[in-house]
Amino acid sequence: MGQAASGGLTQGDVDEVIAASKGVFNQAEIEALYKRFRALDRGRKGYISPEEFLSIPELSINPLAQRLVRAAECPNFRDFVRLVAPFSPRASRDDRLAFIFSVYDVDGDGYISREDMAMMLKQLAGSSLSEEDTHAIISRVLAQVGAAAATSTSTSTAAPLERLDLPAFKRALAGADLSNMVVEVNVDL
Amino acid sequence: MVDDSFNKCFTSTRPEPWNWNIYLFPIWVVGVLVRYFILFPVRLTLLMIAFNALILMFLVIDITLPRGRQKMAIQRKLVQWMSCAWVAAWHGVIRYHGPKPTPGPNRIWVSNHTSMIDYVVLCSYSPFAVIMQLHHGWIAFLQKRILSSLGCLWFNRTEVNDRAVVAARMREHVNKPDAIPLLIFPEGTCVNNEYTVMFKRGAFDIGATVCPVAIKYNKIFVDAFWNSRRESFGKHLFRLLTSWALVCDIYFLEPQAQREGESPQEFAGRVQAMIAKYANLRIVPWDGYLKYYNLGEKNPGLIEKRRRVLADVLRGYLGKQAQQPAAAAAAAAAAAAASGSGEKAAKGEQGGASEGKKEL
Repeated sequence: MGQAASGGLTQGDVDEVIAASKGVFNQAEIEALYKRFRALDRGRKGYISPEEFLSIPELSINPLAQRLVRAAECPNFRDFVRLVAPFSPRASRDDRLAFIFSVYDVDGDGYISREDMAMMLKQLAGSSLSEEDTHAIISRVLAQVGAAAATSTSTSTAAPLERLDLPAFKRALAGADLSNMVVEVNVDL
Repeated sequence: MVDDSFNKCFTSTRPEPWNWNIYLFPIWVVGVLVRYFILFPVRLTLLMIAFNALILMFLVIDITLPRGRQKMAIQRKLVQWMSCAWVAAWHGVIRYHGPKPTPGPNRIWVSNHTSMIDYVVLCSYSPFAVIMQLHHGWIAFLQKRILSSLGCLWFNRTEVNDRAVVAARMREHVNKPDAIPLLIFPEGTCVNNEYTVMFKRGAFDIGATVCPVAIKYNKIFVDAFWNSRRESFGKHLFRLLTSWALVCDIYFLEPQAQREGESPQEFAGRVQAMIAKYANLRIVPWDGYLKYYNLGEKNPGLIEKRRRVLADVLRGYLGKQAQQPAAAAAAAAAAAAASGSGEKAAKGEQGGASEGKKEL
């Protein structure tokens, strides 16, 4: 029974997963994550379905639960590790920002458009935020990012920004504090 | 996603592999052979003989004797012997601490729950009636024919209306003068004997004196936790019958009455703390039934609460002068939402846990 807990995981798998997640997790953490993956994947299918994710009580009451679970797209173990990699203490700021970008980019076209932002605000604030407030927020955000971009590239005319690509997103969040976006993997010894 | 306090309650502990070297391994192999090929058949045959004989006696008495106190007394004794037969088959080493339960008016017993064998282990010492989930198959036969004689009550945990019916029948049972002690498992589901989940207040709401019982299994030979998601009851029994022994401590604690100004939920919490202390369990504020349903779907109010908070933050952003880069405020709030609850280490769950507790 002792072998069953890490059963099915070979050293080659571990190496591959470490490479795929850019080395932010060490071997012990990968093994702990594998145990977690096996616990979540109740149907022993090799991937975690949305229902299995949503059976975690704390996750299911997160306003972004549905979005996160859809963004995860039935991950197998390698995808699962890549999914949680931006939350490792050793992940780079770029990786964390890229993760947030991918969550916001709902249609996955590489840009955060007005529609993407509207969908996200709907998930975050629900019916507590009125339509006009939602539009006002989106317009103001785009205006300010556009203004900042214009001054940084020192062009005199600021073209109205309709959507954000990843570099613009990163610039806009240059000063943001992401220190609460860190999770320790519980490695039991 | 990485860790959460709810699923921890239902994980079986990983046994340390101790048979890894050249001296211990052959001994372990011999042990396995003894357990599976000698002990198991012997235990199974003795158990089948004893159990079937007792069931036969029980059914005969059921049919022949008229209803009356004598019949009930004999049937209780028989059920007690049946439980003893099972405990002997598992090689149970069970220590009972505290005064033996005696039936009394307006008393109800509560205990933590690890497996269906909790009931058998208790019954072999002193007979109890219990409220159980009605199962299928051969267990259903046992439940309906035999345990009903003890006055056991049946319920279906998915039936919402059952709760009121069960509460009424509990009250009725407890008020009978010579009623056999009624045992309730307020957790509502099997937990792994390291943690204890939220006690439901049903048993604490009927105005009876509550007598707590704490059950602690020693995992030295076998882990008595029945992980109903991973194994069937038959497999669980097989595992018990092929282990060396089942070691267990049972503590009968001092009866507690609801205090002035104490709500049923607080009363339940106080009794839970007592049981957790004796059985060395960690208290977790989640409802055990979350095993069966999705919290967000059942309680959209919890999600709406968080949405309202975020909406206030966003509206504040609109209202105030933009001092920081615009996207930072919105994205920081979103990052907090995304990282705050979904991806959490074990230490970070207090906020979500207290919300879950309040709503449930």
